[in-house]
Amino acid sequence: MKRFLIYTGIIIVITILIAVGLDGIYTRIFMESKNRGKIETVINSKAKKYDVVILGSSRANNHFVSQLFEDKGLKTFNFGMSGGHLFEASLLLKLMIERKYEIKNVILEADLNLSNDQEAEGVSTKFLPYIHNSEVIKKHFYDEENFNELYYIPFYRYVKYDSEIGFREVYKTLIVEKTNALDNLGYYPLVKHKNGNMKNNIVNLNPLPHNKYYEEIKSLCKTNNINLITVMTPMCENVVGMNYFDKVKKTYPEIYNYENVVKEDKYFSSCGHMNDNGARIFTARILNDFFNK
Amino acid sequence: MFFNSLAFAIFLPIVFFLYWFVFNKTKSTQNALLIIASYYFYSCWDWRFLFLLVFSTFLDYYTGIQIEKGKTERSRKFWFWLSIIVNLGFLGVFKYYNFFAESFSELLNSVGIQASPILLSVILPVGISFYTFHGLSYVIDIYLKRIKAEYNFVDYSLFVSYFPLLVAGPIERATHLLPQVKVKREFNFEMAKEGIYQIIWGLVKKVVIADTCATYANAIFDNYTSMNSFSLILGAIYFAFQIYGDFSGYSDIALGVSKLFGLDLLRNFNYPYFSRDIAEFWRRWHISLSSWFRDYLYIPLGGSKGGIWMKIRNTFIIFVVSGFWHGANWTYVAWGFINAVYFLPLLLSNSNRNNMDAIVLKWNFSSAKVIMNILYTFLLTCVAWVFFRARTITDAVEYLKRMITNKSFSFQYLDNERYNYELLLMIGIFVLVEWNNRNKVEPLSGKKSLLKIALAITAIMAFGTFSDYKEFIYFQF
Repeated sequence: MKRFLIYTGIIIVITILIAVGLDGIYTRIFMESKNRGKIETVINSKAKKYDVVILGSSRANNHFVSQLFEDKGLKTFNFGMSGGHLFEASLLLKLMIERKYEIKNVILEADLNLSNDQEAEGVSTKFLPYIHNSEVIKKHFYDEENFNELYYIPFYRYVKYDSEIGFREVYKTLIVEKTNALDNLGYYPLVKHKNGNMKNNIVNLNPLPHNKYYEEIKSLCKTNNINLITVMTPMCENVVGMNYFDKVKKTYPEIYNYENVVKEDKYFSSCGHMNDNGARIFTARILNDFFNK
Repeated sequence: MFFNSLAFAIFLPIVFFLYWFVFNKTKSTQNALLIIASYYFYSCWDWRFLFLLVFSTFLDYYTGIQIEKGKTERSRKFWFWLSIIVNLGFLGVFKYYNFFAESFSELLNSVGIQASPILLSVILPVGISFYTFHGLSYVIDIYLKRIKAEYNFVDYSLFVSYFPLLVAGPIERATHLLPQVKVKREFNFEMAKEGIYQIIWGLVKKVVIADTCATYANAIFDNYTSMNSFSLILGAIYFAFQIYGDFSGYSDIALGVSKLFGLDLLRNFNYPYFSRDIAEFWRRWHISLSSWFRDYLYIPLGGSKGGIWMKIRNTFIIFVVSGFWHGANWTYVAWGFINAVYFLPLLLSNSNRNNMDAIVLKWNFSSAKVIMNILYTFLLTCVAWVFFRARTITDAVEYLKRMITNKSFSFQYLDNERYNYELLLMIGIFVLVEWNNRNKVEPLSGKKSLLKIALAITAIMAFGTFSDYKEFIYFQF
């Protein structure tokens, strides 16, 4: 039995060493990543200057045409992330500030995402490779349920979220395979889908009265003298529970309601996402209302 | 509680410690601990089904004794049939009732008689097919006077509900396992080490091969109408490796865990994809089930003795029943039927036992023929797996039809955001490793075993699929 316990002990030590080794290799590779996504780009960047930074979910990513801002002479990048919540938007802004970005305006898409203050695992996991290299990321994840496992168990985060930051992503990062996340200055145009779902039911959604990460973004902007413009973006007409946007306006009067700016189905790819034509109409309206000086 | 879960990683060392350091005084204390651990393990799925397990155990224990004690043939027969009917009755109600009710209703509707079936709202108790077959083999063996009845309820309970084999086999025989549980186990370092090898290799098969193949196979099978020939061929291959990695991986872990407790279980897989014909495949795939049906169904029906029609009938019965054992769906029946069609020519030409020897390859023509036979057998199994995997027989036929008629062999981008060919290299390496170790139980033992273990652990951590977790396929059976 003693021999077996020693043998098992050796295997456990080997396992720990492999985990530490792999953790180091994966993290090192992610630290060099630049053209795979918006998060890596911000983390591995130095100070930049922007007139406009756009934050939010896919409803920011697909709705704000960065080039139209640039045409007006405003240096802009759309950092909206498909599937992301305000948890990730707030963290990305913190990282920009940590890297001494000079930002004049932040346009934040805050509507459906105000209904929760959870992390969006599919997006937040992209920050995890850097958790040991950034105090900002560490602190941001500190209150999450599985922080201890993610932070202290070597390689655990890469195993748990293997589909986002596992071997396949590491390999693609290593061979510098480009994605389209950074094309069009971060804006991702959608096309009109024949079979796009033009119905939605948001009747059960309610904006949180004090969304932690929205408040955090407001506070960050105030402290860093950034002009924050928070907007609700359009949805198709066939939505059950459209009064959600009124509830948002009531809870957060400072948020501009642009839900009605684009209505017709022909401007939508799916009910919650405008196509490129719709996005251009919407962006033009935003530019006209906030940057027409 | 799954073998590849954190809960099991905590459960196993605790039971191991208690077994060898606290409850190691006698065989009775060892068995008592294993039963408590097994019942706890089983109750982690649904504690209510524990009653079914205990009842089934008690039924077979009691009827076994009554059969042995029976003074007249009539009395022996009564207890024998009581056990068979009740066991199969439970299986029928929980696993097959709704299927038969729906099929019967569809049949009536197809001839114009409107009928809506009365369906039972029950979930299938995990492992019921496995522990029912344990009990049945025990009772049949006593009735046929092959073994003596077990009078110690604790020992018998352990035979039925021993946790490594409880939910997905291997389907044990009383002649093999009962003698082992009737003596006190002494710790054997070499046996335990073999157990560790099998557990690690089983995990490689499950999380590296099966679960990764599953994401690709699912993306292809679920969208087969938009896939080209090349993708559909790959889908069938991926599923072949998914089900092999999943089930043989589970079996390896079960055998390995059992060895840690000094109990040797029946081998369930012996590199089936290196078979030279379908008969050999069935001697290497799910061995404990194949041999169960051979001993308790095929041979009692007359086996391969008798006339040609008897052989044909028995072959179809054993394969179709074996298919149906897997689940209440016509796709499993079709899978069994297809395998019978594959097997029959070998049986009728008396060549079903041609390939009993080990495979040895040299640089000559006969070795090339062996390789061709292996590839051909694999092709046949892949075609049959399409029926096993598809939702309906129509889907399976359409899948195969499209595979042949589409004739496009370009790389496709799948729903899981991966290219259809991406997994081929990993499967190729896996096949090479297994091929080079086909004469051993697993590839990790032998020289430089610690290095091989380190590589296996690296593969599990780096290449395993964890976020898209999949249950062991055979748990549903």
